[in-house]
Amino acid sequence: MRSLREQLGFGEGELTPKLVILNGYPIAVVTAVTLHIVLLAGLLYLQTSSQSQALELVQPTVIKALLIDENPQVTNQRNQERRRVEDQRRKNEQAAAAQKRREDAAAQKRRDEAAAQKKATEERQRVADAKARTERETREREDAARAEALRQDKLAEEARERREEQARREREATADAAAAEAASSEFELIQSATGLIQQLVTENWSRPPSARNGMRAVIQIRMLPTGELIDATITQSSGDPAFDRSAENAVYRAAPFSELTALPIRVFNQNFRTLSLIFQPEDLLN
Amino acid sequence: MNEAISPITLILEATLPVQLVMLSLLGLSILSWVMIVQRAMVLNAASRGVLSFEERFWSGMDLSQLYKEGTQMQRDEIPIVGLENIFRAGFKEFMRLRQQSSVDREAIMEGAQRAMRVAYSREEEKLERHLAFLASVGSVSPYVGLFGTVIGIMNSFIGLASQNQATLQVVAPGIAEALIATAMGLFAAIPAVVAYNRYASSVETITGSYITFTDEFSSILHRQVHSE
Repeated sequence: MRSLREQLGFGEGELTPKLVILNGYPIAVVTAVTLHIVLLAGLLYLQTSSQSQALELVQPTVIKALLIDENPQVTNQRNQERRRVEDQRRKNEQAAAAQKRREDAAAQKRRDEAAAQKKATEERQRVADAKARTERETREREDAARAEALRQDKLAEEARERREEQARREREATADAAAAEAASSEFELIQSATGLIQQLVTENWSRPPSARNGMRAVIQIRMLPTGELIDATITQSSGDPAFDRSAENAVYRAAPFSELTALPIRVFNQNFRTLSLIFQPEDLLN
Repeated sequence: MNEAISPITLILEATLPVQLVMLSLLGLSILSWVMIVQRAMVLNAASRGVLSFEERFWSGMDLSQLYKEGTQMQRDEIPIVGLENIFRAGFKEFMRLRQQSSVDREAIMEGAQRAMRVAYSREEEKLERHLAFLASVGSVSPYVGLFGTVIGIMNSFIGLASQNQATLQVVAPGIAEALIATAMGLFAAIPAVVAYNRYASSVETITGSYITFTDEFSSILHRQVHSE
């Protein structure tokens, strides 16, 4: 019977009924689940391998742009803190000056006394040169005692100086802490400003169709403290003139960066007077 | 800002309703793929079965011989599908009615045709199973995805309202997260729609060949009835 069925060309059809019996569900489930897992894995791989970093700033290095709270309360507090630190420094300076003045006065007095004594002794010598052999000895003793007193005075002064030094060092430490705090807020300022510039430039950047992954143009811009752009020059060409031009246009279109006016002038001068921008398309498919 | 936002992290950090929507869409997508693969195999087998049975039927062999072969196959627990089922139903009814001498010719023909019609509609039902599911996945899952997107964007705008400085960085992740739901809806819907259209047309072809065969077979039977 079997041979007859095969003869009739039904041999190949034997697989068919079996599949229909199971209705192919196990195979179908396995296939569908595998397909989804493969797709998810592919997505994951693509995401981890590609860096979607379109534009980065060279200087200062940016990790993440933070937006600083610019509510007046915080700025007020910051101003008050600064004023307090300054006041304290002024007070300390005044105290130091007063002490110096006192010391100077004391030294002057001592010098005057010494001069007067010298004059007196000289006079006495001149007047009673002969009678004063024994007296001189006593006087010398007195002198020695006075010198001793002077020395002790000096020692005390040294101790005081040492104390003062210590106090000064303490003051310096607190001043350092304040400076560090200022620096961290300065860092945040820089970060937020660079973030803003980056965002503005990226928004205004329209890449030409000839842009390819791996292209890299560096543009140096010079700015005024008002955020106005003085000029932008291509310091490193990408090799594609259209790409370079698009980068340059992006900078010109994004200017002026009026947010930079909020920066302290010192911070601006240190970080933003000249700035290099790297233009790099990374997220293109081709 | 320079941190790359990947879809994976977006999915993992999405809000609960959006995540639920995404999960249900993933489930729908997997299910619809199960149906797609299963239907592909069933329909393939059916169209191959049509060809092989027609070849046997028109090879000029005796019809009662063909019927006996089928009975033998049934005994061997090989299931009989498609055209052969229709043929067997019609032929069985025909032989049974013909053995009763009291039944007239038209009644014999009618009985055979009725039996074939019943077998035909059973076969058609087998072929069309799950196609409705594919069709509804294809039409509904974009809306489900859209629902997730609307919820996500709503949430991100609510979050935006509590911020006093609205920047792109605040809005963008929420919207990106929300858009993933739409993408997943489309991802589930597109294969389902394509498969539905394809399978519907191939079901039509196969049922068409069943109908043709039924007609041809009943004309053969008709000839046999009236030749006596």
